Amino acid sequence: MARDFITPKGEEGIYCIDTASWRTYTPVMDKTKCVECGICLTYCPVNSIHKTDGKYTISLDYCKGCGVCANECPKKAIDMIEGGK
Amino acid sequence: MNYIDFLDTQEDLVTAGTSACQGCPAELSLRTTLKVLGKNTIMAIPPGCMAGAGCIGWNFDNGLKIPVHITLLDNTAAVLTGIKQVYEADGRDVNVVAFAGDGATADCGFQSLSAAAERGENVIYICYDNEGYMNTGFQRSGSTTKGSSTSTTPAGEVAKGKEQQKKDLPMIMAMHNPAYLATLSPSHMSDFVKKMEKAKSIKDGFVYLHIFSPCPTGWGFDGSRSIEVARKAVETNLFPLYEVENGQYKITVPNKNPKPVSELMKMMKKFAHLSAEEISEVQEYVDKKHKFLSAVSTIE
Amino acid sequence: MGKTVAMTGNTAASIGAALSRPKVIAAYPITPQSSVVEHSASMVANGELKTQLVQVESEHSAMSVVQGAAMAGGRTFTATSAQGLALMYEPYFRMSTLRLPMVMAVAGREMTAPETIWSGHQDTISVRDAGWIQIYVENNQEVLDMIIQGYRLAENKNILIPVNICYDGFYISHLYEGVNVPPQSEVDEFLPPYVQEHAILDPEKPMALDPMTPGPLVMKYRKNHLQSMQKAFDVLDALDKEFAEKFGRSYGGVIDSYKCDDADIIMITMGAMSGTAREAVNIKRSQGVKVGLIKIRMMRPFPKKQIAKILADKKAFAVVDKNVVFGWNTGAVYMETKAAISELGCDITSIPVIGGLGGTDISLDHMLSVIEKLENAKKGEEEYDTYWLED
Repeated sequence: MARDFITPKGEEGIYCIDTASWRTYTPVMDKTKCVECGICLTYCPVNSIHKTDGKYTISLDYCKGCGVCANECPKKAIDMIEGGK
Repeated sequence: MNYIDFLDTQEDLVTAGTSACQGCPAELSLRTTLKVLGKNTIMAIPPGCMAGAGCIGWNFDNGLKIPVHITLLDNTAAVLTGIKQVYEADGRDVNVVAFAGDGATADCGFQSLSAAAERGENVIYICYDNEGYMNTGFQRSGSTTKGSSTSTTPAGEVAKGKEQQKKDLPMIMAMHNPAYLATLSPSHMSDFVKKMEKAKSIKDGFVYLHIFSPCPTGWGFDGSRSIEVARKAVETNLFPLYEVENGQYKITVPNKNPKPVSELMKMMKKFAHLSAEEISEVQEYVDKKHKFLSAVSTIE
Repeated sequence: MGKTVAMTGNTAASIGAALSRPKVIAAYPITPQSSVVEHSASMVANGELKTQLVQVESEHSAMSVVQGAAMAGGRTFTATSAQGLALMYEPYFRMSTLRLPMVMAVAGREMTAPETIWSGHQDTISVRDAGWIQIYVENNQEVLDMIIQGYRLAENKNILIPVNICYDGFYISHLYEGVNVPPQSEVDEFLPPYVQEHAILDPEKPMALDPMTPGPLVMKYRKNHLQSMQKAFDVLDALDKEFAEKFGRSYGGVIDSYKCDDADIIMITMGAMSGTAREAVNIKRSQGVKVGLIKIRMMRPFPKKQIAKILADKKAFAVVDKNVVFGWNTGAVYMETKAAISELGCDITSIPVIGGLGGTDISLDHMLSVIEKLENAKKGEEEYDTYWLED
């Protein structure tokens, strides 16, 4: 069916940018230092930190490498390593 | 469930990939807001950072997982009113929410906001305050702190940044007698979530929330420090965390020993040009504002 | 059958809107429109009208509130004049380009400066290219009837364009005439409830309404809007017939032509002045002058085919404009009529006339003088200088 060009509307999908490709620094968590306070999760602007099997893990699918998690971690358990991977 | 587990498990209703700057507290605030408000929400976002970041959609796609509409810069509160009035006529409960920058709120759209508050419309108006028109190149707004170097009030040989003090939007809106009003900072997430849940629960009357959103790109500091800057703003009383309900003012995160505002200012480039005297003018403003807030906070 | 009551044009507008069962009304008072909303408010206060009446603080917000309501699928109404219409231009343009149907009554008023509040067409003429359908009416009955027809026109699935019902400030808005008010049940049969299908803000059907749009898509949306607007002629003509069958009143459709068939000179008018023009035509006809009158009802889209068809075999025509187009030294209807007949390639003499600005009366003598000018118009003299109806 031909699309009707009446009212502009976004109905087909979700607009999503590959923000992982932005990274020039990548967060790496030292699990031995992590005390599982969950603060990194609350501050991640891209909702990329979650609890998996009781452990906090950082997903790199959309991580922009902003470094907020590393800066806020009270135990300095996260390092920002140079490089996008 | 504690607020951290809540934030862990609630569905994120914003697209996973927005073009907000690295470390943007507005992006964090929007995701958190929608985690609390949930799917039964219609959102209006005027032109600004969150619209520009892709949340309002592109081509044939949406940028959120809920209905969203980009309003004109100056009519967000009026559009919210119209949407809500139809749902009320139909007897359908739905959150009708604005997520608007300080430009749309303090300047352009203030008239329609003030009127919507005066009418007591059953909507939630959320302002994310990054102290300027950041999306379009960091132009000043009424909510920009005095002394800030912005693209329209640049610091130069003769001028020293914005000449006027910050417009106290939350207090102005408190004077409209809303059903609920609160200031929020992404640095204080437990307080943030609690206030957002309170806002969601108000079924009768106007709700105004004001979120402090330091802009790394526009203010001149590294994105990794955005939460640190927000926290410092709370600790210096530049952005006190309080709420107002039924005319009762309550400071929800008191500062026993507030830090001097100069500590906040030296964290970023936009204040780098200020003299000690110019900084003290801002300190005086912050102190006066806080004196007033403290005084009304004791009124029963 | 309904009762006939003496009422002002504003009251007729208010009742026409009430009969159309709007879900939301948001309007801001401005002379000479204020009693439209005052009457709506008193109907609500007495329980005669069930609607969400929003007391907005400016016309910009009035159009914005109804825009939000329309996006949520509700039928809405508002009214304004001159400065208010100018103030709401930003969301006004967006209302038509978002293809949200609604009816807005405009009590036509002259635009400031100079400082004026009185009758004029300049307000709606100044926004004629903002994508709305614009219909001008002649008397109080037509106001009420056209608001009801306006909703059918706007909500037609092949149209989906909001409609202005334009009536002269003070001459129609404030003067009393007998108006037959159709019963609610009969209006309900003519105008069923509105169900929006093409766009909605509803959590059960989440979508971004008006996402960021790249250029090629803008072209497609505009093309659809322009083409849909061209369908309005047939829809209005059909509505006129249907309304006549049900309520016994017909207005001629897109244009109303009076004694044009055997005429060799034509006068073209729009709005309340048409009544005076018709009187003048009757007087001149009784004196043997073969003059006819075209009353333009639908100004947007412009009825170029209908007008060209009538003018094709005429010797001369005059257009009485109650407005100005600054860059053309004539009024808008004259300018557009000239464009409409440009393809005819015939030698037709034309006289631009401007009168009635700022509430000035266009008198019977004025109209007779226009016809006299037409009588004396020399064939071949394609265009006369603008004739100003000054005393």
